[in-house]
Amino acid sequence: MDIIVLIKQVPETSNVKMDPNTGTMVRDGVESIINPLDLYAIEVGLQLKEEHGGKVTAVTMGPPSASKALKEAIAMGCDEGVLITDRKFAGSDTWSTAYILSAAIKKIGNYDIVLAGERATDGDTGQVGPNIAACLDLPLGTYISRIDKTDCDKIIVERLLEEGYEKLEMPLPALLTVVKEISFPRLPTLRGKQRAKKTELIVFSAENLELDENLTGLRGSPTRVVKIESPKVMRNGIMLSAKDEDQLEDAVNKLVEFLKTKEII
Amino acid sequence: MKYNTLNAEIIKELENILGSKNIMLDEEKIENYSHDETPKEFAHMPEVVVTPTDAKQVSEIMKLANKHLIPVTPRAAGSGLSGGAIPIYGGILLSMEKLNKVIETDYENMMIVVEPGLVTNEINRLVEDKGLFFAGYPMSLLSCCIGGNIAENAGGGKAIKYGVTGQYVMGLEVVLPTGEIVELGGKNVKDVTGYDLKSLIIGSEGTLGVVTKAIIKLSPKPKYATDLLVLFEDVNSAIKIVPIIISKGGIVPTSIEFMDKLSVHTTCDYLNEHLPYQKAGAMLLIEVDGTREDIVEADAETIGELCLENGAIEVYVADNHTTQERVWNVRRNIAEAFMVYSPEQSLEDIVVPIANIPLLMPEIEKISAKYGIKMPTYGHAGDGNLHTTLVKNPDMTMEEWFETEDKVLKELYEVVYSLGGKLSGEHGIGIKRRDYLKNHVSETELMLMKKIKRAFDPNNIMNPGKIFSL
Repeated sequence: MDIIVLIKQVPETSNVKMDPNTGTMVRDGVESIINPLDLYAIEVGLQLKEEHGGKVTAVTMGPPSASKALKEAIAMGCDEGVLITDRKFAGSDTWSTAYILSAAIKKIGNYDIVLAGERATDGDTGQVGPNIAACLDLPLGTYISRIDKTDCDKIIVERLLEEGYEKLEMPLPALLTVVKEISFPRLPTLRGKQRAKKTELIVFSAENLELDENLTGLRGSPTRVVKIESPKVMRNGIMLSAKDEDQLEDAVNKLVEFLKTKEII
Repeated sequence: MKYNTLNAEIIKELENILGSKNIMLDEEKIENYSHDETPKEFAHMPEVVVTPTDAKQVSEIMKLANKHLIPVTPRAAGSGLSGGAIPIYGGILLSMEKLNKVIETDYENMMIVVEPGLVTNEINRLVEDKGLFFAGYPMSLLSCCIGGNIAENAGGGKAIKYGVTGQYVMGLEVVLPTGEIVELGGKNVKDVTGYDLKSLIIGSEGTLGVVTKAIIKLSPKPKYATDLLVLFEDVNSAIKIVPIIISKGGIVPTSIEFMDKLSVHTTCDYLNEHLPYQKAGAMLLIEVDGTREDIVEADAETIGELCLENGAIEVYVADNHTTQERVWNVRRNIAEAFMVYSPEQSLEDIVVPIANIPLLMPEIEKISAKYGIKMPTYGHAGDGNLHTTLVKNPDMTMEEWFETEDKVLKELYEVVYSLGGKLSGEHGIGIKRRDYLKNHVSETELMLMKKIKRAFDPNNIMNPGKIFSL
């Protein structure tokens, strides 16, 4: 069973600083990591391989420095890493990214399952995975929380929905985006790290892929970011005191009035 | 020692020195100053809490207290683990909370001059942009204060490479119990001008004087760090590797943290952490850091290989924020995990020469089995400092627990001393270990300590009853 895992390198955001003028994130000195939600997809890929054999290929699109994310994926146990990188791809939105990744997946060829995280922690759109399924005309399962059973032509999975779980039987090949519930990502081992160091990455640029260049990069992206603003945290609370019982009723009335004006009750 | 209690007249005098806004008498407020991080049975209420704003006020308070024989207990964050900041004779609680300023940043000399009530991490936050840090911080740096670190000569997880607080204290301003203000040490890297009195103050647990200003040495901050989480089948193979890393590997790691089977399993269960820990009888968390990524990586690899050659089951590598948080999370949550089992605990701080840790571990197991209580052991294997924790069996009554705790501690300390160890590596003696100390220190050493105490504090008003009873 051959598996492709799509991963993204994102800035580590636990201690993020925002530029007050541009509204964008200050990236200087911020570490780049594998999108935490993609780690679950990697783990699922590795478990499927352990059960059914085959190989796991990690794929990412990004600047050359994104190779670090692929090396980490290999250290976790992936067999190969494919880096899709080209200046022409810079500024690609979700649509354009999905288009480019689809071309890369076509070029890789043999695969039974394409796995992706539910969404990336930086853009937070969750669109690229489903969009690729559309581009490649693959059956799509989003928010997958469990894999019940799989053989060479079909897979039975469970999706996490707001109201509960949904069971799907899907033909393969298929694309699945997974949620945290599905697994516990393993840590990279020393042997894995050593193997990753020796493993040469496969690099695709615009020339290697069959693409209409008008559909890639900033030019090919229908999304336009007009303005970025960080929401301001405002605390417009009021203090009501009721030091003895006589003031209690008055304070309660004021509180009710306040909640009404805020349309909370 | 018979102390006087506070009366209206003395309180009036305190008001004259400090102004009424720096004095607290309200029982509800001063209750917060009656305990530190030791169990509540050690707590004791002060009679008054004062919050001086400069050394002059501290000096006046000390003169007043000395004249009227009122005990004075200095306190910074109150995050200590030995009861050092608890006013066991009541009296005046001298809180350094308003002495919390940075007085000078001297980047040419790579030093910072601070007041004792400053939260330790504030130093690191302030100098971070200059690529510097204060390397002698303890693990509680987000909540503790530098004054407490100096009083306890605190250490932490990185002591094997960076040492403890005292190594970074260049100079001190100290108010003596008799009220004089004295400057000790300074900004000179070398200084053998007379007795090293500054070092006597460091680690004296607030019994010799009150630190009102400290000159702290800063160091270049390492840019890269890699952590190895290493699983071993048993304690012995985990501990044996420690001296090998340094002698054979030629590398001084930033930390070597040890967790025994009980600590690992309980904490992983508590955190729902699915590392394949079931087969592990012990775990080491080893960190290397440095200014060049390739060297840090190579050092980590050398250490990892040594571990594998010496019987490690698996070596995991964490070199980014996600994985590093995950591995350290296990180490940081041990105490928390056992709180779920029983909140009654005695957190110990024993230290033995590193080569003797393998001999210590089976003895701890024996004591644990004999008294039927859990005794998870974890801590800083790199420097032999282990936080064996006595956890009350939930079936025990409190009386049974106190009785068992006392017996277990006595036996544990006997074992520790027979292996060339000591009672406390970084938490101090305070009140928690005071009555055990006298069994293990020679008469001559105790006499010297008492003479020093009397030389500084003839009336024994400065944090009395800590370390030893005079």
